[in-house]
Amino acid sequence: MEFLSQTYVALRGPTGAPQTAAEIVGKLIDRLSPATLLADRRAAVLALKGLSRDHKQDVGERALPGLLQVLYNDAEVDPDIGKATLETLTMLCDVEEERDLGFKNTDAILENEQALHALMALLADNNFYTRFATLQFLSILLQNRRQRVQSYFLTAPSGSRSIIAVLEDKREIIRNEAIAVVKSLITQSADIQKVLAFEGAFEKLFNMVTQEGGVDGGAVTEEALICLDSFLRFNSSNQTYFRETGLPSSLLSLLLFPPNMSMQELGPQEFALQFWDDQKLANASAVVGIIGLLVGSKGAQEQPAYIRCLIEMALASNAPTVLKTKALTSLPSNLNFPMSDFILTPYMPVPETNGEEWDRLEAATALDALVELALHGEYNGMDAHKRLSGGLMMRAAAVSVFENFVRKEERKQAFIQRLVPHVGSELLPNPLIQSLVMIPNSDTPLDPVMVASTHFASLLFSHLLRNSPRCKSLARSIKPQPATGSDTGNFFVPADTTAPQAPIPAETLAEDDEPPQTLCQIMTENLSLSLLARSRANNSDREAREWDRLIVAYLCLLSQWLWEEPGAVRDFLDAGGLGILVEPVNYASEGDLVVPGLCLFLLGICYEFNREPGEITRNTTYPILNRLGVDTLIGRMSRLREDERFKAVSPEISVLPFNTTPVSHLQKPEEQEGEIWFDWAFVDFWKSTYYTVQRGLSTEPDQLASASSGQTTELTMLVSSLREVIRTQSGEIESLNAQLKQTLSSNDQLATLQKDIAKLTIELQESEEKRKETDREHEDLLVLVDELSGKHAQDKARMREAGLDVSEDEGEDGDDDE
Amino acid sequence: MAGISWNYVFKFIITGDAAVGKSSLLVRLTDQRFLANPDPTLGVEFGSKLLTIPEENKVIKLQCWDTAGTESFRSITRSYYRGAAGCLLVYDVTSRKSFVNARSWLADVREHADPHLTCILVGNKVDLCDSESSSDRRQVPMEEAELFAKEEGLLFVESSAKSGENVEKAFEDAARDILSKIRRGVFDDDRVSSPGVKLSKPSNVALDPGAGSKPSCCNS
Repeated sequence: MEFLSQTYVALRGPTGAPQTAAEIVGKLIDRLSPATLLADRRAAVLALKGLSRDHKQDVGERALPGLLQVLYNDAEVDPDIGKATLETLTMLCDVEEERDLGFKNTDAILENEQALHALMALLADNNFYTRFATLQFLSILLQNRRQRVQSYFLTAPSGSRSIIAVLEDKREIIRNEAIAVVKSLITQSADIQKVLAFEGAFEKLFNMVTQEGGVDGGAVTEEALICLDSFLRFNSSNQTYFRETGLPSSLLSLLLFPPNMSMQELGPQEFALQFWDDQKLANASAVVGIIGLLVGSKGAQEQPAYIRCLIEMALASNAPTVLKTKALTSLPSNLNFPMSDFILTPYMPVPETNGEEWDRLEAATALDALVELALHGEYNGMDAHKRLSGGLMMRAAAVSVFENFVRKEERKQAFIQRLVPHVGSELLPNPLIQSLVMIPNSDTPLDPVMVASTHFASLLFSHLLRNSPRCKSLARSIKPQPATGSDTGNFFVPADTTAPQAPIPAETLAEDDEPPQTLCQIMTENLSLSLLARSRANNSDREAREWDRLIVAYLCLLSQWLWEEPGAVRDFLDAGGLGILVEPVNYASEGDLVVPGLCLFLLGICYEFNREPGEITRNTTYPILNRLGVDTLIGRMSRLREDERFKAVSPEISVLPFNTTPVSHLQKPEEQEGEIWFDWAFVDFWKSTYYTVQRGLSTEPDQLASASSGQTTELTMLVSSLREVIRTQSGEIESLNAQLKQTLSSNDQLATLQKDIAKLTIELQESEEKRKETDREHEDLLVLVDELSGKHAQDKARMREAGLDVSEDEGEDGDDDE
Repeated sequence: MAGISWNYVFKFIITGDAAVGKSSLLVRLTDQRFLANPDPTLGVEFGSKLLTIPEENKVIKLQCWDTAGTESFRSITRSYYRGAAGCLLVYDVTSRKSFVNARSWLADVREHADPHLTCILVGNKVDLCDSESSSDRRQVPMEEAELFAKEEGLLFVESSAKSGENVEKAFEDAARDILSKIRRGVFDDDRVSSPGVKLSKPSNVALDPGAGSKPSCCNS
């Protein structure tokens, strides 16, 4: 300190007259030159450091080159001067107070790569202060001019090695600073990500995580995991390498999930039931994020253990809701996991133990547990009445997983098939259908838990029907079974809806006069009931909103079901659908967009696809549309998209904050009340079909479906492929016919030939007999001739004896010759 | 994510002029297919392969970093040399220039890499050579390259990523050489000193409960 004051005195000049900062800086710069003693230079740097706080501009403008020279020449030799120089430079680049100045100084320092390379060399110094100050300086340079630093870093001879080395530093402060620098250094630079991975960044980061105690570790663990995440995200080369390292299975171990467990074994309890706090949640959430990255990336050989870990975490653990949601959203969209065969055991908190004791529930398939989670929320709907955003998001995420799972047509059909009654087999009540057909009780305030269940059921069910003509038509034959007492224990069903139905056994049902209603009929009735209840004047705002939500659920599902399915349209119209839809349109108020808009949309679909003969035809509907005014209808229908609840939905977001309650900023978003209206699949469906519906509304009843022009390419392809099939099949039929004819005709020929043969045989026999007869006659004649010739010879002899001239006959000549 | 075990992990780099077929060699090794028209590599790409050396009864995990040959990436790819145990120095037998440039690549390797690194000179694209026909496009005689390799103490092979000829052999020869170095004690067996060679020892058990069957990869 004494030395310092001496310096100041010397600088102040003999007269004691005050000098300007610029003059002082000028004098100090002279002292920085290598010609002076190290001690003097050190003093000068310290003085500059002091000045730079208040005279940043003067020091920056004049002293930077000198300071950098000291950094290059002295910092390695003398840690004190190094530390002081680095701190001065850090201060000069600070942009918090004087923004422009900070950037200007940063640019000056980064004019060429020398400074950065010097810093990399300094990092190799094991002196605490040098290392720490270097990291801090690097960090501010990165913050100001990241890309420049990144390009210099890649050319630094031992940059990556030095950075990795500081990640291993035993001193916590340095290590933490190092993570921050690495995080910033690798941002959006695939090259640096790869180089550091090559140098062993993964292992170092993992070591850090384990040293800190895995997911139970503190903020450093979280930082290290986030850092690991940024090494891998968007970098497929690093992902491939990471898979090679054997570290991925350690991710599972971090979550206490055994990586090499067989699929038949049940998940271990120490994984399922853990103690959770906020920090652990953040750490585990980062791990789940990385697992999701690995299972979701293209070319990943899907390892069932990773998917399974996510599924068990979401469906059979006591993990916090946010984490379960993250596990669900981390599942790959082309989910290839035997959800319907895989068995897990969900858990329930024992009441009034404050989450310290848990009951293991009966084993269920992952698919059932997923549907259950979507329908009722966590732990059998324990907190469903609070309707927190977090819980709704988790249920929405479960619906998305379900959607991805049934994306394959055969899985859809298999699911629906289970709901359709078959001859000779007893159909068990299905929770999905049960929730879908719950009858809203209009006498008491609507139960929000029931509304949410029905709503989620409608979302799940619409994923089964959309784009699948086969499922749409199969679903028409679903006849929901009334809930029986045995299954209500497992699933949350409001008491008022089950009570009147519960005791009906199957036999009485069969004897009942009325045949059981179809799903479509029940839904139509429920819709009618809800629309009536909605129009009651004495509803509170909240109550009205609940009814609206329920109606929206019914209408969305019906729209997607009836689209391109004339049979279902027929069912709906026969159940009185037309009147139900027209009513709310007639009495709609100005600000009311959603329900009338959707009613019209469904009405348009009914009109468009009313193509099967029935009581209500297009011709009977047309005057009604005209009376309401087609233009008005179209206007109202398309105004749905102006509604905030519709506009706010995106592929990622379907849960909205409940805007009628004052938002308290002290609460986390997931702990506030939320609500759900539409999912993206419906918004997407609406946007791609509403134009066809709109055009359909203005076509004459006898015109052909306008939808045919708006066919999806998929459909066109389907049609063309079917045409192809038909063509080849008809060709085959033709050739087969020809063959058949040929065979037939040859059969004919055979018959005639046989007949010929028979005839000929008979003829042959006849002629044979004739011949025999002739032969016999011939013989007789011969005998006669013989006799005659004998007589003749006698006569001749007699005549010769009598002296009569007798002609010589041949026989005698012959005799003479002899 | 693999459950197969190995005895050693070797880090390899593949280097040489642009368009000599470095990426194709790697893809041939890892995927057994030919990359007909690959895009130029940007920076580096990673690939890996398990090799079995029967006479040593050793399974080796090769981790290969395929580097960009383009000049602009040269400073980046240099960062990888130091950590490697083996190096494939590739040239194109139908390009004299790529062979000449191999010297400068070698100089780079010598400057930055570990002194014990095993380097194999690979003359790629021999499928384009046919000494009997007039369409022979060979510009680098095999004898000349062989001599160069001998002078510089490099292994040598001519290969074709297209036909697959000698591709695995190139990597195997290099791996054998590294194994023999290990056997001779060039690397102290207990504490492997080359950063590119990692012994599989069930160390760092804390992280990896399956370490008994699955070697950990942390620096021994």
